[in-house]
Amino acid sequence: MTALAILIVAGPLAGPAAALAGARARGAGLAAAAGAAVSLIAAIALLAGQLHRAPLQGWNGFLYVDTLGGFFLLTVSGVTLLAAVGSIAYVSAEEDAGTFSRFQVRLYFVFFGLFASLMLASLATGNLGLIFVLIEASTLASAALVGLEGKARSLEAAWKYVIISSLGVTIALAGTLFLFYAGSALHLSSSQRLTWPFLFAHAAALAPAPLRLAFLLAVVGYGTKVGLAPMHTWLPDAHAEAPSPASAMLSAALLNTGMYAIIRFLAITQARLGPTFPRAVLLAFGFASVLIGVLFMVRRGNFKRLFAYSSVEHMGIIAVALGFGGVLGLYGALLHTINHALAKAVLFLGSGDIALRYRTREAAGVRGALTALPVTGGALLLGSMAVLGSPPFGLFLSELTIIRAGFARTSPVLPLLLLALLAVAFIAFARTTTGMVTGQPPELPDPYRRRAGRLAAAAPLIAGLAVLLLLGLWIPAGLNTVILRSVAVIT
Amino acid sequence: MEKLAATSPAGVLLDLSGVLILLLAFACLGSKLFNRYVAYYGAQSVVLSFAAAVAAWNFHSVDLWILAVLTLAVKGIGIPLVTRRLLVRRLALSRDTALSTGLSTSLIAGGALTAFAYLVTQPQLLPHGVVAAAVVPLSTAVILLGALAMVVRRHTVAQLIGWLIVENGVFLGAITLVATFPFIVEAGVFLDIAAGVLIMLVFASGLTRQLAEASAGELRELRG
Repeated sequence: MTALAILIVAGPLAGPAAALAGARARGAGLAAAAGAAVSLIAAIALLAGQLHRAPLQGWNGFLYVDTLGGFFLLTVSGVTLLAAVGSIAYVSAEEDAGTFSRFQVRLYFVFFGLFASLMLASLATGNLGLIFVLIEASTLASAALVGLEGKARSLEAAWKYVIISSLGVTIALAGTLFLFYAGSALHLSSSQRLTWPFLFAHAAALAPAPLRLAFLLAVVGYGTKVGLAPMHTWLPDAHAEAPSPASAMLSAALLNTGMYAIIRFLAITQARLGPTFPRAVLLAFGFASVLIGVLFMVRRGNFKRLFAYSSVEHMGIIAVALGFGGVLGLYGALLHTINHALAKAVLFLGSGDIALRYRTREAAGVRGALTALPVTGGALLLGSMAVLGSPPFGLFLSELTIIRAGFARTSPVLPLLLLALLAVAFIAFARTTTGMVTGQPPELPDPYRRRAGRLAAAAPLIAGLAVLLLLGLWIPAGLNTVILRSVAVIT
Repeated sequence: MEKLAATSPAGVLLDLSGVLILLLAFACLGSKLFNRYVAYYGAQSVVLSFAAAVAAWNFHSVDLWILAVLTLAVKGIGIPLVTRRLLVRRLALSRDTALSTGLSTSLIAGGALTAFAYLVTQPQLLPHGVVAAAVVPLSTAVILLGALAMVVRRHTVAQLIGWLIVENGVFLGAITLVATFPFIVEAGVFLDIAAGVLIMLVFASGLTRQLAEASAGELRELRG
């Protein structure tokens, strides 16, 4: 079992190894995809083997995977696989076009692999201090990806990202310190006092005042990484300027990793202080994020920024779901996490293909994608429908669950408000994307030299949409059990 | 650390170091020269390393001794040296003009933040008489001052120093509030800071160069 966990974390390092050995974009990309596939298979094996047994623990709590951790490992390694396959197409096209030098290609795959591996490691540890260390390290690795193109705009986006996120995560470190201090009265060793299962088991003996401060600081700190408003300001710039497969990783993997850390703090706080205080905090940040995300989606312009604001909105929805709480709310939050991750991976990878062909990131410059590029245009259309929560895709089901939880657990005003905001989001988002897929396409160059490149660009789009459709029609019994057991872990 | 009384010699020394660290944060906030930013940050880190050594001596903790040495080497000497060589000198930075408020305004705001730090941390959180009750408000104030420096300054190098001051504040809180923080985690935080500074150096120098080129380009276009 420990070997499986090591395999999950080490899998994505195949890409950096190949890139450092001197492979070109295609070779390094294939190695990255193979490594990500190994991670995904190992994550599924770990979840399957773990389902009816005690959580995996070792190394004094530094290794800890329960079902909740396994669920996030599954999500992140799945996204990594999609993005790695997309990287083969995107980066080799940029290399062939001469946009990326060989050095940049090498940097890309080194930091892509490190980024994925650090995120997976942060999901596989029970030590809250180590989670901080690994999340901050993954920030640094991904900042290198954001600034990779080296232009003034991308450097500025990377700077904004690294400085705001580092400050945010430092605030989360202060929160971790106060959590550690809240456990002063416990008879535990110092590393146990930072280890989640021990803290959760002894939550009743934690000091309430420092715990309250710890939770607030953790939500603000890790919320910066999640992109909760008003700490979201780095997010649209970073997502717009990063190479598209890296944007997919940021939106579909990194944001979830931050949310995972918040969920760990939430479980401890709820066990000690009851649901009222954490609910107020999460609902406030959640609704602020949905509102800000929706308002900024109204503006037309760069389509990657549009997708980024949609991420702010969806992270807000997940925070609201956590705030509603109860089995239904938490179930909806986790289901929404995996659905949003898939939909956003598809959209950002599709946006990469479109940016390569049209050589623009402005929505106004893209016309007739459906006629010119049936696969990508279709994925863009279906992906936006999915991300907006239309049936029959998975997000419809998870948003419905969240709204039901709201009606069951709070006053009906809040879920109704959420519904109204979602309706505005639908109009704002679809207005831009329908304009992109319809109309007469201009003459488009083919950026891919080989058929394999076209295949690698299309495969993750089709695979992601297929899984999204599946999750909308039918939740497999295994996944259902995993989510229910994850909810049981934190309540 | 919870048991360390404020009146013990170690407690007094820690309290004194905390005050010095706060004063140096104010000095940085009240300055306009890049050289000074780096110098004040370096001095603050040296004081911080002294505070860690005091705590290590008091608790006979090997981990804290290592941390004190690491702080001195990395934050007290390494980072100031590297930033001065690679950023301040190479990019010929001298006077910071990208301030969004005047110095006096930011100093007044800093004073208000310090009062606020005392207001929120003093009464309910910590039992009276322990050194943490005196130092945690100071460290909170240092965190807020560093964040304020990042807000009022738009130059990347100034923002980098602001973040490092925030880190110092958190670290000061850590050694007084929870001396027994696991060493692996502390070491990891150190690694993160070192890697963070390296990557920020790359971005900051790239950005400063591009901005300089852009303004030079404007000058050429406006000629004649």
